[in-house]
Amino acid sequence: MSSLVFLLVRSAKNSFLELLRKPAKLILWVLVVAGIVGLFVLTMFTQESAERSADLVWLKGALLFLVLIFAIIAVQKGLSNGDVIFDMNDVNLLFVSPVSSRKILMYGILRMAKMAFLAGFFILFQSNSLSSNFGVGFWAVFLVLLAFILAVSLLQIISLLIYSLSNGRPKRKRIVRMITALIFLPLVVSLAVQLIRTGEPLTAISNTLNAPVASWTPVVGWAADAVVSVISGDLGRGILFFGLLAMTGVILILYIAFSNPDYYEDVLVATETTFEKKRGLSEGQINGEAISGKKVKISGTGIGGVGASAIFYKHWRESFRANTLGFWGMSSILTVCGAIVFSLFFRKGGGEGILVLLQTLMWMQIFFIGTGRGLKELYMHYIYLIPESSFEKILWSNFEIACKVLAESIVIFFAAGLIIKASLFMILACTAVYVLFSFMLLGINYVSLRWTGADISNGLMVFLYLIAVILIMLPGLAAAIVIGSLLGKAGVLTGLAILAIWELAAGMGCFWLSRSVIHRCDMPVMKTVK
Amino acid sequence: MINVLEMTKKYGKFTANDRISVTVESGELAVLLGPNGAGKSTLIKSVCGLLRFQGNITIGGYENHTVDAKRLLGYVPEFPVLYPMLTVAEHLEFIAKAYRLNQWEKRAEELLARFELDDKKKKLGKELSKGMQQKVSVCCALLPQPQAVIFDEPLVGLDPHGIRELKAVIAELRDSGCALMVSTHMIESMEDNWDVTYIMVKGRIERVCRRGDLEAGQSLADVYFSITEGKEKEAVQ
Repeated sequence: MSSLVFLLVRSAKNSFLELLRKPAKLILWVLVVAGIVGLFVLTMFTQESAERSADLVWLKGALLFLVLIFAIIAVQKGLSNGDVIFDMNDVNLLFVSPVSSRKILMYGILRMAKMAFLAGFFILFQSNSLSSNFGVGFWAVFLVLLAFILAVSLLQIISLLIYSLSNGRPKRKRIVRMITALIFLPLVVSLAVQLIRTGEPLTAISNTLNAPVASWTPVVGWAADAVVSVISGDLGRGILFFGLLAMTGVILILYIAFSNPDYYEDVLVATETTFEKKRGLSEGQINGEAISGKKVKISGTGIGGVGASAIFYKHWRESFRANTLGFWGMSSILTVCGAIVFSLFFRKGGGEGILVLLQTLMWMQIFFIGTGRGLKELYMHYIYLIPESSFEKILWSNFEIACKVLAESIVIFFAAGLIIKASLFMILACTAVYVLFSFMLLGINYVSLRWTGADISNGLMVFLYLIAVILIMLPGLAAAIVIGSLLGKAGVLTGLAILAIWELAAGMGCFWLSRSVIHRCDMPVMKTVK
Repeated sequence: MINVLEMTKKYGKFTANDRISVTVESGELAVLLGPNGAGKSTLIKSVCGLLRFQGNITIGGYENHTVDAKRLLGYVPEFPVLYPMLTVAEHLEFIAKAYRLNQWEKRAEELLARFELDDKKKKLGKELSKGMQQKVSVCCALLPQPQAVIFDEPLVGLDPHGIRELKAVIAELRDSGCALMVSTHMIESMEDNWDVTYIMVKGRIERVCRRGDLEAGQSLADVYFSITEGKEKEAVQ
């Protein structure tokens, strides 16, 4: 058996054996697989009722947008450090071994395809929504997954090629940026023209997606059109676009393998950077700013506060040093812009759209709340050693994210409310529900840590956290819906008020339960996976 | 000053520390020795209140999770983790504010000068090399003038000047009555100053050795290898 086949087979076997040794991880995987199978079964039973399906153009749009995100990341990586297709152990053991560099490249690409599959794993959960929205069977899920894997793998190869051709050459980097802009320019121009012509964002997007310019946009358009063509019965066109993706990948691999067999240097920086990042994570440095190459201007210095409040003033200093707008980073700006664009679609809906926005933001907040500096502080030893009470340290370390959420929600809901023409009371109610929901999520995070002692894997911790969010929200939601539906016109506002009160009570309860968390759990360690 | 009594730490079924008892008096330097995976870092983290455990740990008579115990304790971790967006000077200022220290500026200046960091006060945490980060970490731990200091592999990553200064600082701390617990693989680095050595193997303390217990011509390294390699030989036989 060749050494590379041995590596692939043995790694897969050992991963499986490790799964058997870790029951919690095994249960998680069993639940995931059961969930996917359950969704497939559900899809088969609900197919009949899904005759009134949405236009397939929106599936095309969603896929195009998804692949577009990966395309932007791939180009950015190509222009900075290149994409990661190898691990540090490959560099240390394989690169110095007497194995052909071309064979090693193929091994790397196979591993890359595995990573693309894992990145697209969530697609497998979409069978039910694909069925109910577009009236397609579970086979469509595999088509979407296939297109996604092909597109993401191709983008990783393109990223490697960009790095290989432009590393240390600013002029070539400019050319790459220009080519990238030129590739997407027709799509942007087409959308702009449609917007001016129709004045309706949804119609403009739909018309652009139906135009050939969307289908022929390299990689992103090919992947989207390949799936939609096969689903709509145009097999020839589908094969053409799937073929384009595969053929381009093969040609680029052959080009790299034969034009640049000494590609080791090109993948080294990205591999080392990723390795350092993982090592930093496992050593407690989970702050992304530590590995950012962004130049920081040091103007104001010093830290205010005393005792536990010094933690808040430290966060304040760190945030303003990292961003000109302080705790308002790029994520806040993107969220506000996204919410405004979102509101534009609902501006004729009579104010109801603000509830859809609230619901969407609440879902996002479940995952984004952990990006605050307060929770990150738990991965470093300082907060544990400061001679102040555990509760005060928790409160002050989360004060910054509380300010951030409050400021964000006021801007988002007032801007969206103006566009959607929602009433002032509705805007205030949505702001309160969102802010208190974030407060409750923080509390649930600490309760999860307190209850588990942080002595479980990160995956299981996230799973338990999600379950806890659902269980804790359920009584409040049920009460809000039941009481709200009994009150006719004033029902929505009353429902939101009930929800806000429930979130406040649940949040306070969670914080009270976790008041001694710093003294009652192991300092969590970010476990990195390969 | 540092009192660990029957401390056990388990990760699931794995016992990292098994009924450990350690005592470090004021003005005493205790060295923790042991092969990789012996449980030294787990013991240190438990003493510092970063891990839960069974048993009893006190610092200056206070249970180690209490505010009073934390006021007495300094900790230099194995991996120096600094705040990337704070300058070196701000790290010390943060510690001073959080620990409610008065007139700390002069001591901070002295520590920075001693570890050749005085020209790097405005450097950000993320701009420092590993060795520099370790030096800042030591300065942060020593700024509150703790009465007990725990060092986990403190010399790793330091340059020769840093190693010399840290060894001198450790000796001064001991002479000033501070209780010190140092985990290290560099046995020879502690040969001059140690008072008591705990040799750990597989989560247990295999031997407690006081300086007076050594026979003539016997070094700490000899004791260590007789315990760790002697056991391996017995196991093979």
